[in-house]
Amino acid sequence: MSEYAISVASNMGMIAFVALSAYVILVVGEISFGQQAYFGIGAYMSGAATAMWGWPFGLALAVGSLSAAAAAFAIGALTIRLRGLYFAISTLCFAEMLRLWLNSVHVRVEVDGEMVGPDGAEGFGDIRWIFENDVTPLEFMFIIYGLLGAVLAFLLLVERSRLGAALRMVGQDPLLARSQGIDASACKLLAVMFAGLIAGLGGGLYAHFATYIEPNVFNVMLGVHGLAYGLIGGLGTALGPIIGVVLDIGFLEGIRAIQGYRMIVFGGLVAILLIVMPRGILDETRVYRIKRWMRRT
Amino acid sequence: MLEVRDLVTAYGTIEALKGVTLSAKQGEITCILGPNGAGKTTLMYSIACILKPVSGSVKVNDTEITGTSAPHALRCGIALVPENRLVFHSMSVEENLMAGAYTRLSSDRAGVQADIDNAYARFPSLKDRRAQIAGTLSGGEQQMLAVARAMMSRPKILMMDEPSLGLAPLIVAEIFSIIRQLNDEGVSIVLVEQNAHKALQIANRFYLLDQGRVTFSGTPGEIGEDDFIQRAYLGSKVA
Ligand SMILES: Nc1ncnc2c1ncn2[C@@H]1O[C@H](COP(=O)(O)OP(=O)(O)OP(=O)(O)O)[C@@H](O)[C@H]1O
Ligand SMILES: [Mg+2]
Repeated sequence: MSEYAISVASNMGMIAFVALSAYVILVVGEISFGQQAYFGIGAYMSGAATAMWGWPFGLALAVGSLSAAAAAFAIGALTIRLRGLYFAISTLCFAEMLRLWLNSVHVRVEVDGEMVGPDGAEGFGDIRWIFENDVTPLEFMFIIYGLLGAVLAFLLLVERSRLGAALRMVGQDPLLARSQGIDASACKLLAVMFAGLIAGLGGGLYAHFATYIEPNVFNVMLGVHGLAYGLIGGLGTALGPIIGVVLDIGFLEGIRAIQGYRMIVFGGLVAILLIVMPRGILDETRVYRIKRWMRRT
Repeated sequence: MLEVRDLVTAYGTIEALKGVTLSAKQGEITCILGPNGAGKTTLMYSIACILKPVSGSVKVNDTEITGTSAPHALRCGIALVPENRLVFHSMSVEENLMAGAYTRLSSDRAGVQADIDNAYARFPSLKDRRAQIAGTLSGGEQQMLAVARAMMSRPKILMMDEPSLGLAPLIVAEIFSIIRQLNDEGVSIVLVEQNAHKALQIANRFYLLDQGRVTFSGTPGEIGEDDFIQRAYLGSKVA
């Protein structure tokens, strides 16, 4: 694989975490424009863990994703009563607040004679774990896809379970779900928290892949892309958002002829798909038909 | 069996129920009538613990359930077929039935399967459509599915909020015969209806709800005696 291909594939893998994160919230019937915040929290926390505190990489990733999950839980508990547009706006507000706040966070410590740590808008550089441990880009790509595969497998498993059914019912009609004896608020909170965890894990990977992060990386466009991937790929299965990512980055990025127009093509594609297939390519009905067809053959 | 006392439920500062007292007896069909906006749906949600009342009490077999959770009300034997939101649209008929047995889905697989078979025996048209996506069912079929799903929780009290809404007379007749059949099998029924003529034909006892208050209650035999009800809700003399 060429260096370029490895970098595109790695980016695809990492943004897939944002896409899965946004998808989990879509499943319970809400829209989040703020999953980039949890990606950011994961990036800053796990970056700090290796670069400032010298923790091992695995532990750093865990700390990053757990911090993101904790933040998502706190914000979720505050906004659990909001629905629709109000919920969506609240997620965006939190993400923007966090990003602006990061611009003023200066926590630098001396490591090996150099100052390391978040330096406000100047960003947080020298997250040197991959250099110090001689991890090649190809190896890091395998780490990304290994973890992505694990998250995806877990989501697919949950979807087949009783909990998965409950989450979908809450997404379709929370009131009707409650009259089946489902605790709709608990389901939503769980989804929000798990979505935070997934985004945080992706963020932790990103910090070590990029070795340099700054608050502006975690702007709303990142969240909107993540959201769009689920809407394109389909909300019927966790494979949907992955299809969205592959279509946008893998496919459009690959077509050199539209370089520079990619965002326009992508935007148009989203618009057309939402008209023709409002719940994406692999929506619930199609997923159900495919499953039946597979069972029969 | 079901005792509701001085129930007050508010949306914000607006009280939709202003102190409702009623009771539904074991094995009976209790009918709640009232004009649009009377608070009938609010009452159903309050009894099912989906809305939290401001004050008052709801008791099932002398057990207080006010302010507990919807799952708890369901465990106490109350099932609700809500108004206007009958089925999970993108789930299949069978998945909808399983949703009704959600609370025992993993603990009692054999029982759930047996109940699904029972539901198909009662509603043969659902059996033919078991794999169909519920959103593509006709209005009547959706109402049948909603009743079948509510029965999956093995309720002692089945509450139905305007089951005849938007359905053709023939289907309405079918629904009412199913209600009566379920009642014969021992399920107590609480029925919200606009269709007073039809409702009074099967009800043992009825309550009139208006602007959040019970304005009249009685048995169908008594209704002819009250001129006000006739004019307000039935239009013409009841045969
Ligand atoms: N979610 C809500 N927020 C605010 N007010 C509400 C809400 N739901 C109902 N109401 C109000 O509460 C009152 C009672 O409504 P409810 O739906 O219980 O009446 P209903 O008797 O079921 O009427 P219908 O026969 O039209 O179904 C109405 O005045 C209605 O406007
Ligand atoms: Mg109503």
